[in-house]
Amino acid sequence: MRSAALCLLLLMPAPARSLVKNPDTYTYLTISDADSLDPAWAYDTASHMILLNIYEPLFFYDKDSTDKLIPLVAERVPTRGNGLISADGKTYTIPIRKGILFHDGTPLTPEDVRYSIMRFMLQDRAGGPSSLLLDPLLGFPSTRDASGRLNADAYRAAERAVGVSDGSLVLRLRAPSAPLLSILASWAPIVSKAWAIKNGDWDGTEASWTRFNNPSKNSSPFFTRANGTGPFQLERWDRKNKEFVLGRHEKYWRGPAKLKRVIVKGVNEFGTRKLMLQAGDADAIYADPMVYSELVGIPGVDIIDNLPLIDMNPIAFFTFQIKTAGNPYVGSGKFDGRGVPPDFFTDKDLRLAFAHSFDYEGYIRDVYRGRATRATGCVPKTLAAFHPAGRAAYAFDLARAERHLRRAWGGRVWETGFRFTLTYNAGNGARQTLCQILKRNIESLNPKFQIDVRPVEWPAFLDAYQAGKLPIFIMGWHADYPDPHSFAFPLMHSKGDYPTIQGYGNPAADRLIDAAKSEHDAAKRRAIYARLVEIEAEDVPHLLISESVRYRAQRSWVRGFYHNPVFPDSPWGGYFYTLWKQQ
Amino acid sequence: MKALFKTLRRKPMSLLGLGLLSAFAAVAIFAPFIARPGAGARDPYLIPQDGYRAEPERPSSRHWLGTTEQQYDLYYGMVWGTRTSFKVALSVVLISLAIGILVGALSGFYGRWVDEALMRMTDVVLAFPDIVLSVVIVSVLGPGLFKVMIAVTLVSWPSYARLLRADVLSVKEREFVLAARALGASDARILCRHILPNCVYPLIVLASLSMGRIVITAAALSFLGLGSPVGYADWGQLISLSRNWILGSSGNPFEYWHTVLIPGSAIFLFVLGWNLLGDAFRDILDPRQK
Amino acid sequence: MTRFVLRRLALLPLVMLGVTALLFALLQFLSPEMRAALYVKDPRQLAALESVIQKYHLRDPIPVQYAAWLGQVLRGDLGYSETAKMPVADAIRAFFPATLELTAAAFIPILVIGVWLGTLSAVRKDRWTDHLSRFIAITGYSLPSFVLGLLLLMVFYGRFKILPPGRYCLEVDLLVHSEGFTHFTGFLSLDAALNGQWGALADVLGHLLLPAATLTYISLALLLRITRSSMLEELGKDYVRTARAKGLPEGAVIHRHARKNALIPVITLSSLLFVSLLGGVVITETVFDFPGIGRWGVNAAQQLDIPGVIGQSLLSATLFVLANLASDILYAFVDPRVRIR
Repeated sequence: MRSAALCLLLLMPAPARSLVKNPDTYTYLTISDADSLDPAWAYDTASHMILLNIYEPLFFYDKDSTDKLIPLVAERVPTRGNGLISADGKTYTIPIRKGILFHDGTPLTPEDVRYSIMRFMLQDRAGGPSSLLLDPLLGFPSTRDASGRLNADAYRAAERAVGVSDGSLVLRLRAPSAPLLSILASWAPIVSKAWAIKNGDWDGTEASWTRFNNPSKNSSPFFTRANGTGPFQLERWDRKNKEFVLGRHEKYWRGPAKLKRVIVKGVNEFGTRKLMLQAGDADAIYADPMVYSELVGIPGVDIIDNLPLIDMNPIAFFTFQIKTAGNPYVGSGKFDGRGVPPDFFTDKDLRLAFAHSFDYEGYIRDVYRGRATRATGCVPKTLAAFHPAGRAAYAFDLARAERHLRRAWGGRVWETGFRFTLTYNAGNGARQTLCQILKRNIESLNPKFQIDVRPVEWPAFLDAYQAGKLPIFIMGWHADYPDPHSFAFPLMHSKGDYPTIQGYGNPAADRLIDAAKSEHDAAKRRAIYARLVEIEAEDVPHLLISESVRYRAQRSWVRGFYHNPVFPDSPWGGYFYTLWKQQ
Repeated sequence: MKALFKTLRRKPMSLLGLGLLSAFAAVAIFAPFIARPGAGARDPYLIPQDGYRAEPERPSSRHWLGTTEQQYDLYYGMVWGTRTSFKVALSVVLISLAIGILVGALSGFYGRWVDEALMRMTDVVLAFPDIVLSVVIVSVLGPGLFKVMIAVTLVSWPSYARLLRADVLSVKEREFVLAARALGASDARILCRHILPNCVYPLIVLASLSMGRIVITAAALSFLGLGSPVGYADWGQLISLSRNWILGSSGNPFEYWHTVLIPGSAIFLFVLGWNLLGDAFRDILDPRQK
Repeated sequence: MTRFVLRRLALLPLVMLGVTALLFALLQFLSPEMRAALYVKDPRQLAALESVIQKYHLRDPIPVQYAAWLGQVLRGDLGYSETAKMPVADAIRAFFPATLELTAAAFIPILVIGVWLGTLSAVRKDRWTDHLSRFIAITGYSLPSFVLGLLLLMVFYGRFKILPPGRYCLEVDLLVHSEGFTHFTGFLSLDAALNGQWGALADVLGHLLLPAATLTYISLALLLRITRSSMLEELGKDYVRTARAKGLPEGAVIHRHARKNALIPVITLSSLLFVSLLGGVVITETVFDFPGIGRWGVNAAQQLDIPGVIGQSLLSATLFVLANLASDILYAFVDPRVRIR
C-alpha cells in the first residue's frame, strides 16, 4: 500500500523533496537489454552487468583496482608465495570457500566450481567467451576446428586440466599463464550443477558434452533463468519491456545487500531517462557523452566525471564476407547499385575511403565534448605500459576519400554505386551520430552511394553482426581482463572474436600477437604491438575512432558507488552490492 | 468560379486558408533564394549541419530559427521542408486521384462483377487505418521519402474510387447519358465526355480535404523514423529530432521550445490551410450545407 | 433483418480473406530468402535457409504459398516477433489490453463531447458557439497527434512534472507483478480498483490522461461534424416544425425528437471513429511510450520485425471489420428502413 501511496506523489507537483525516494529500491535506466543470462554464453556488457550481480566468480577485483585481487568463491588468492601456485607456474590449487548458498538454498560445493569451469569451456558457442579459458587451460582457443568439426579430445583435456581435490579446485595448465587469475576474476562464475541437470542442461559427463556444444541461445535453461550465489537473485526478466527486477539474496554469505531490490530497465529515449533521474524515479542512468551539459546542475543529481576505462569505443568494423542471403541490410546483395555484394569490403581502397570520410576531430569535439583522444591502435592508452606511441593513421579528407572511391573495385564502385544499411544499437546516441556522419559524407561524394541508417535493439544487433549480416557495424570492445592481449587478440587475430566474424586475417598479425602473449618484458611487448599497429593501419580491418573517459550521473542519495574500469557497463551500471541510498 | 470568390469573401476562415497556402507556396517556390543551399551541395534538401553537438541552439543571428539536435539549421529545414510537403501532398493526391478515378469510373460504369471485384478491393484497403497500412508498406519497401509517397498513395486511392463510383452510378442514368448511348457513342467517350465532367466537384472537395490527412500521415511516418533520413528537410523528421528536448533543461522547462513548436506549427498551419479551403469548397458544392 | 445480418456475416470472411491476401501480397516484396530468414530464430541456421524455403513453400507458385501461409495464420501461428521477444499471438495478448484501455478512455469522451458540441453547434448555427465548436473541430483535425502529444508532454511533464509517459510508475509496476495482485480483466485501471489499490488506480489513470486527451482532441472533429450536419437536417424536417408549432419547449424538441433521429448516422460513424482511434494509437502510444499494440507495431517496423508488423496490422484490420459489422447490425436495429432493403 505504501508503494502505491508514493506513486501519488508523482501526480502532484513536487518541490525538491529531501526524502529519499524508494529508499530500498535502486533503479538504473539503461538502453540495452541483456542478450542472455547464461554465463557461458553471454559475451556482452549488458548481459554481464546483470551476471556480475547474480553470479560470483572465484576472485574479484579489490575495489577500484585492476590488478589487486581478492578471493570470492575461492578462499584464498593463489600466489607462488603462499604455495598455491606451483613453482613451475603450471598448477593452481584454489581452496573453495564453505558456507556459500545458492539462491535456491543449496550449498555451493567444489564440484559446482569444477562443473562451472568445464561447462564454460566446453559449451564454447561460436563467438562466445569460452576461448578466454580454453586457451590458457587447454592450450587451444576452440573446441572446434576451422571447418566446425568437434575436437573429440576436448572433454578429456578439460577433465585433465580441471580437477577437485580435498575441497580445492586444482588447475593444471599446459604452460604458465600470466592473466589466468584476472580472467577467473570476471569469467566462469559458479553455477549449481544440480540445478543445471534438473533443468535439462549438461550433466557433466563425457557422453553428453557434444550435445551441449555450441548450442542455440534459447535452448539453455540458463538463458532466462538463474540460480547463482551473488548478492542479488533474479526475480523477473521482462524481455518485452526490457526490464530486470533483482531481489536481494537474503542468505548471501557476505551478509545481505543494503538494497532490497534493483530494477534495471531499458529506456531508449534520453529525454525520458533524464526526466526520471530528475524526478528521482531513477537513481542512475546511461548517458551519452554529448548530453553531459544536460545533466549538469540538476538539483539532487551528482556527476562523477573523468572515469577512466579500459576499452575502445566506438569502432566501425568492416565485414569482409557478408552473408547476403535473406539479409535486409545489404539491399539487393549484388553489385548493381542497389545493394552490396558479399565481398564488397575486401577492397582496400573502399575501406580507406570510409576511413578518410569520417570527421574524427569534429566528432571528438562535439560528441565527446573534447574529453577523448584519437585512438591510434588496438592497444588502448589506459594500458600505458604497452601502448605504442604513434599518430592516428587516417585524417578526415573528403578529396582523398573520393580518390579512393574512384579507384575502388577498379572504378566500378564509382560507376555503379551501392546501397546498404548502417546499423547501431538503439539508444546509443554517440554511435548514431557516428553513423550519420559517415552516411552524410559518403553520400555527398556521389548520388549513387546510398547508406540507410537504422537502430537495432542490442540483442538483435549482436545476433545480426555475429551472423555476418552487417556490412559495417559499430561496436566497442571492453577489456575481458586488463591486458593488451585482451584487445590485440579479439580485434586483430584471425581467430579473434571480430576478425572471425569479419572474415579478416593476416598471418603476420597472428604471429605478432602470439609472440606478444608469451613475452614477459613490457618494453619488448610494446615494441611488438607497435608493429601490430602498423599492420592494423595498413590493412584497415576497422576504424578505431576514439578513446575517452566516461562520466556517471546519479542521484546524490546514492552511496557506496565505486568505479572499476573492468566492470561491464561501468560507470553507469556496475556492482550493486555496495550501494545504498541515504540523503 | 464566381461562387468560389463570393464564398471566400463571405467566409473569413476560408480566406485564411487560402492565405496560408499562398504563403507556404511562396516559401516553397522561392526556397532557393530565401534559404540558399551551400556551394557544391549535391542535394538542396539536405539541411546544412553546424557541428554534431546534441543540444539544439536557440535562435540567433547565425541560425535564425536556431538549430535542432545535432545542429541542423532549423530555418533551412523549414523552408525546404515546405517544398517537401507540397511535393508529397500534390504528387500523392494526383496519383491516388488518378487511380481512384480509374477504379471508380470502371466500377460505377460497368457495374456487376467489375464493380463487385473493385469495391471489395477498396473494402480491403479501407479495413486498415491509414497509418497502420502505410507502416506495413514502408517496412517491406524500406525507408525513404519516395517509399513514403508510395505507401500513402496506396492507402489513399480507395476513398476517391468510392466517391466517384457513387456519383457515376447516379449520373449514368440521366437523360443526356442515355441519349449519348442511344446515339452510339463508345463507352470511353460516354465516360470521359459525359459522365466524368459531371462528377468532378465532389472529388475536388475530397482531394483538398484529404491533402491535410496525407501530409499528416507522411509526416508521421518520418516522425516514426520510417520516412526520410535524419537531416533531410522534412517537417516530420524535424519534429522527431525534437523528441529528446521537449522537457527542456532543469532550470528552464521551455528552453528548446523552438525545436517542436516551429515545425509543429508549420505542419498544423499547412494542414489547416487545406482543411479550411476544403471546407469552403464543400460549402459551395454541397447543397445540403447551404 | 436476419437476412441483412446474414449477408453482412457472409461478407465478413470475404473481406478478411482480402485483408490477408493484401498483406501476403506486400510480403512478396521480400525475397524468398528474406522471408525464410523471418522463420529462423537461431542466427546460425541462416546457412540452411534453403531448407526453410522448402519447408514453408516459399518458392512455390503464389497460390500454393498463399494457401500455406493462410493455413498458418488461421492456426494462429503468426510467427515470432523479435521486438516483443515472443510469438506474435502471445504479443497481441500481451499488448492489446493496454491499447483497448486507452481506446476506451478516449472513446467515451469523444462520444459525449462530440455529440454535445455537434448538437450545440447545429442549434446555434452561425452564431459564435457554432463557429467556436467548428474551430475546435477543424484545429483538432489539422493538428498532428505527435505534435499535440509532444506539446502536452512539454507543458505537463516538462513544466509541471506531472502526468508522466508510460503506463504506470515503477512502484505500480512492481505492485502489479507482485503475487498479491490479481489480474481480473487485463485492464489495469479496473484491476487496480478491484484489488482495492486506489493509489495504483490514480497512477494508472494519470498515465492514461494525456494520451487519451490527445486521441480525443484529434478524433473529435469527425463526430462533431456528422452530428452537426445530421442535426441540421433533422431540424429542418416537418415533424420538428410540427412539434415546435404544437408549442413544445425547444429543449424537448431538440433532445427528445431531433437528436434521437440525428444520432442514427452517428452510430454508423462510431465504427469509423474506432478505426481512426486504432490508427491514432500508433502515434499516440509511441509519443507517450505507452506499451500497447501501436507502439509495438512501430518498434517492429523500425526493427524490421516483419511478423510483428503483419500481426499488428492484421489485428487492426480484424477489429475494424468487426466494428463495422457491429455498427451495421446496430444500425439495422435502430433504423427500420435498412431492414426493408
